[in-house]
Amino acid sequence: MLNVLSKCLEKSAADYVEMRNHRRESLTIVIKDGKVDALNNGAIEGVCVRVLVNKSWGLASTTILDRKNIEKALKEATSLAKASKPAKKREVNLAEVKSHKADYVTPMKRDPRKADKEELVRLVVDTDKEVRGFSKKIASDNISFSVVDDDLTFLSSEGAQISQRIVRCFGSVMVTAREKGNIASAYEGMGAQSGLEVLKKKPLNEVGKIAAERADKLVSAKVALGGVFPVILENKIVGLLAHEAVGHCAEADLVHSGSFLRDKIGKRVASGIVTLVDDGRFSDGLGTMMYDDEGVPTEKTVIIDKGVCQNFLHSRETAYDFGVKPTGNARAWDFEFDPIIRMRNTYIESGDYSLEELAEGIKEGYFLKGGLGGQADFTGEFMFGTQEAVRIKNGRLGESFRGVTICGNAFAVLKKVDAIGKNFIMRAGRCGKEQINYVGMGGASLRTELLLGGTK
Amino acid sequence: MSLQASTQFAMKTCEKLGADEAEAFAQKQRTVEVVLERGEIQNERVKVHQGIGIRFIKNRKLGFAFSSDISKKNIQATCRNASVLSRTSISNPDWVSLSTPTKVPKVIGIYDKEVAAFNSEDVLRLAERAYKAVKEYDKRAFIDDGKFTVTSTEVAISNSHGIDLAEKNTFLFCYLICVAKEHGEVSSMAFEYEVARSVQFSPEKIGRSSAEKAVASLRPRATKSFKGKVILDPDPASTILLYPIIYSVNAENVQRRRSIWMNKLGEKVAAKQLSITDDGLLPNGIGSSSFDAEGVSRQKTQVISKGALKNFLYNSFTANKEKRKSTGNASRENYYMLPTVSASNFVVDSGKKKLDDILAEVEKGIIVRRFSGNIRPDSGEFSGIAKQASYIEKGEVKHALRETMISGNTFQALMNIIEIGSETRPTFLKTYAPPILLNNINIISK
Repeated sequence: MLNVLSKCLEKSAADYVEMRNHRRESLTIVIKDGKVDALNNGAIEGVCVRVLVNKSWGLASTTILDRKNIEKALKEATSLAKASKPAKKREVNLAEVKSHKADYVTPMKRDPRKADKEELVRLVVDTDKEVRGFSKKIASDNISFSVVDDDLTFLSSEGAQISQRIVRCFGSVMVTAREKGNIASAYEGMGAQSGLEVLKKKPLNEVGKIAAERADKLVSAKVALGGVFPVILENKIVGLLAHEAVGHCAEADLVHSGSFLRDKIGKRVASGIVTLVDDGRFSDGLGTMMYDDEGVPTEKTVIIDKGVCQNFLHSRETAYDFGVKPTGNARAWDFEFDPIIRMRNTYIESGDYSLEELAEGIKEGYFLKGGLGGQADFTGEFMFGTQEAVRIKNGRLGESFRGVTICGNAFAVLKKVDAIGKNFIMRAGRCGKEQINYVGMGGASLRTELLLGGTK
Repeated sequence: MSLQASTQFAMKTCEKLGADEAEAFAQKQRTVEVVLERGEIQNERVKVHQGIGIRFIKNRKLGFAFSSDISKKNIQATCRNASVLSRTSISNPDWVSLSTPTKVPKVIGIYDKEVAAFNSEDVLRLAERAYKAVKEYDKRAFIDDGKFTVTSTEVAISNSHGIDLAEKNTFLFCYLICVAKEHGEVSSMAFEYEVARSVQFSPEKIGRSSAEKAVASLRPRATKSFKGKVILDPDPASTILLYPIIYSVNAENVQRRRSIWMNKLGEKVAAKQLSITDDGLLPNGIGSSSFDAEGVSRQKTQVISKGALKNFLYNSFTANKEKRKSTGNASRENYYMLPTVSASNFVVDSGKKKLDDILAEVEKGIIVRRFSGNIRPDSGEFSGIAKQASYIEKGEVKHALRETMISGNTFQALMNIIEIGSETRPTFLKTYAPPILLNNINIISK
């Protein structure tokens, strides 16, 4: 394949050409209520060609991988770049980078691609048994485990040639509980860029137990109250705050459009105890890559340092516009998409509070647990869902309520962060920004104030 | 080899490999996309993808393998893979059979030759018309991003019971996100889109409407929290009200006790104004096709009639379990996914009153034009931010709302429907929804 791509590359008359070959193989095992749905395995593969002609981008992709079709894609991308040029006002310039030749493979102790499939089926079967046996209230479950193997090759007309083999493991558990006509469900997942050794750190049956316990408990629970409350965000959802509320505002394309952080470099945007990072090389991180999809080495980018905004996240194009070094944040979901600015592993650095100490400072509030989907506007207004809200009264944790969606302005919320815990955790997530991608989200439990969309 | 020849070839291969039953589903898709970003045409893409997914059943054990390579040699390898996977799997006691042939009707308006031949310049022209409309509407409105996507898709399906079908369709999904800027203030992001099978819509309308929503959300003010009336635009009505209904009438969820309506057939589940039909054969329908993802003929199924629950939606697996016929609601997003149950075109019967007349009768309430939040489709709890929302008093829109959330329970809200509007539109959940006025919704503010 490399040969075919190189030959096509030589032929191009464009000013700059990138070719990405991407093969994604996946194995998925799903069990629904104790019954195996199907063992699911396969691969998709394609080539994406992106060209720059007269400072205008064109992109084409194909899954038909002979030389004829790849050359056709190259031609198509070139003519697209030319055709759309008159409609584009902004010229594309790329920040200069060294052209790398490199090879990277996810470090793995137990390669999941070589694992016995029956063993993986057993893992899911055993988890399902534990979940359904948790209590009589458990009505239904979905347990899944999957392995996704990305084989990426990047070539550019500047001479870059990078191969990356990224292997990720995922597990997820959905549980529905029923009692007296009430229904409640809970979701819990795990995932990492790692071999099967991740299951030692995060066993699938433990993941199942958390979900089963939560559904069982919440089926008879009421919905939390609505309004502004002091809250503790559980470590598992602090990453959502880092990602949804802040990270997006630091993506240079959104900064360009006028995001909240547009004029904030060097200015205080959060409480002095908040340091927020987007790290492209976090060990086991779901968003970890050595090079991004423009061939730029990834790095640890500090967005907020002790409350002060320091850096934005860049592609080669925005780095040129901003006059800075690219940060290695240009990522593409697969061969059908162009790389755009995406976060990698985003987290808030931990502090030294215990959960009890965090709760001590709250007279009337909630401890929010378990994340659900989130979204953010570039004004910093964000929301994300929570699964469970444990009431805090006079510093003590009490009754559990059904979780609600929370919202606020990211920077108002960050300014109110007055204590951060020590229980740091990095979670697996997916983010959708025109195209989806794998990201890591991390942090330790912290205390702040938020608007809860509960009952009146 | 044609797509249908490839699924036929896969069937022969599976037969030789000793399958009890087998099914091949192949898909070929060409997509032309124009991406707008920061108020400009940013990028264009032409994407061609194809692939095949094979279900292989042996002793009630199911293997599924897929590949984006549909050469003869690779189809054979994919069939072998599916066969090996089925051997590794565990038998499913609920398995009865793959679908058997039905009389397949012809559906009109799902394939448009003109759209199928669209090149990037044609799509660019659509985007430019919308783009121009934003600028003409109001100087304060700016496009943040947008995407104009045109796809032309061919699917083929063959199974060992004699199903052997192919069909083409076209699809357009065009959206814009606008913000308004004034005196250093930036409005929240306003979203507008169209989904269609052919260019029967006005791209200018997408531009005007997203600009109008953005400008209308400038100078927001907070209101005090209260419990009361909320008008949902078709899009939020679809996500808040119809999404949990679609979940609850899905036979898989009913059989697995995940649906709150599992024992409620024939019972009142909503106000009498609400009637919904799942119509897989709707002419020009965005979810229409002559057969479903398992090759079963599409049909019209009344789901809710005057507030009473009438029917659930089935694929062949869930239908077999109850020894009844599939309603033709098997769906798959892609060749590399297994079929599931989902709605086709989920059509709400429109009411008589126009949105303006409904609004004029609201003494105190809000109108929500976009919902950014979470909905639990099983229990019905929803909560989230009311975007592009405005405060209504004495039948008039008073001002845009700031940081306002709404929350409630969908299944209770369905009982509290006051009015269903007349202006029904297709949404990207494949529903045809009108604006809906609800009572007793929590409106929460700082």
